[in-house]
Amino acid sequence: MAYSDKVIEHFEHSKNVGTLDKSDPNVGTGLVGAPACGDVMRLQLKISDDGVIQDAKFKTFGCGSAIASSSLVTEWVKGKSMDDAMKITNKEIAKELSLPPVKIHCSVLAEDAIKAAIEDFRAKRAARAAGAPAAAATVARES
Amino acid sequence: MTHVATHFELFNLPLSVDLDVKALDDLHRKLSLETHPDRLTGADARERRIAAEKSASLNEAVKVLRDPVRRAFYVLELKGVKLDTEHAAAALKMPMEFLEEIMERREALDGARQARELSRAQSMAKEIAALKSASLSTAQTALRADDVPTASIALGKVRYYSRFLEEVEAFEEELAAS
Repeated sequence: MAYSDKVIEHFEHSKNVGTLDKSDPNVGTGLVGAPACGDVMRLQLKISDDGVIQDAKFKTFGCGSAIASSSLVTEWVKGKSMDDAMKITNKEIAKELSLPPVKIHCSVLAEDAIKAAIEDFRAKRAARAAGAPAAAATVARES
Repeated sequence: MTHVATHFELFNLPLSVDLDVKALDDLHRKLSLETHPDRLTGADARERRIAAEKSASLNEAVKVLRDPVRRAFYVLELKGVKLDTEHAAAALKMPMEFLEEIMERREALDGARQARELSRAQSMAKEIAALKSASLSTAQTALRADDVPTASIALGKVRYYSRFLEEVEAFEEELAAS
């Protein structure tokens, strides 16, 4: 099976590979896996207090399509609001990368990773609003 | 719809994660003789085709049943969870701590691979192989008790661990080739 040019491009020149500080209150981390193949994907988003995605990083251990899907979405989400990022569907990812049917699950993984990262950020923010880890926020501002 | 015989039914064996491989091999040999081309000298084309199909199913069944890992996945499948399909796999929620652990281990392996430290990768593989066999054993116990959710998670772990071990093998081949 041949990979499309866009998959190869994202695979060979992956955008935004890396990590963001998980303990930063403005960073949401999404960790998802595919038990059908044993691949894992971590996607992290740095989100401003007004809900705009400022930065995105990923690390994926998986096939070319999984890496390309995560690389593509990190490009797509930057500058988007959380609500708009939540609307990204695996169909759009699969279409952009011309993924064959057997690789559709890689795009599903990327979609799930965005949602998991945003949910993580929202949970953190809710916890902060509840007043619990106020100290952590102070530390982050100082660093 | 006609019922397609399961791998167990082909050998008249009970559906179980526990199986005597030696007995299976004996049964396979016996049944294979019946479909052997030498026994079909007077047979017509249709009989030959049926014999060839039967023989192919037996060979496939033996491959799955002989291997304890494939057998466990197959028993789970017969109990309604086919982990190889995207749908079932997506419905399976692996524990978050487990995904974190796998991510960390894959990152560590990646580090060893970048540094071309085979012995470090191999000692990780040894640890993972032990975890894999412990998870397989958990899955087998759960399948014996018909506990499908526990078996699904345990076999999901087996899949991730297998993937890790494949990566170590790929690394070994990479070094051998260079």
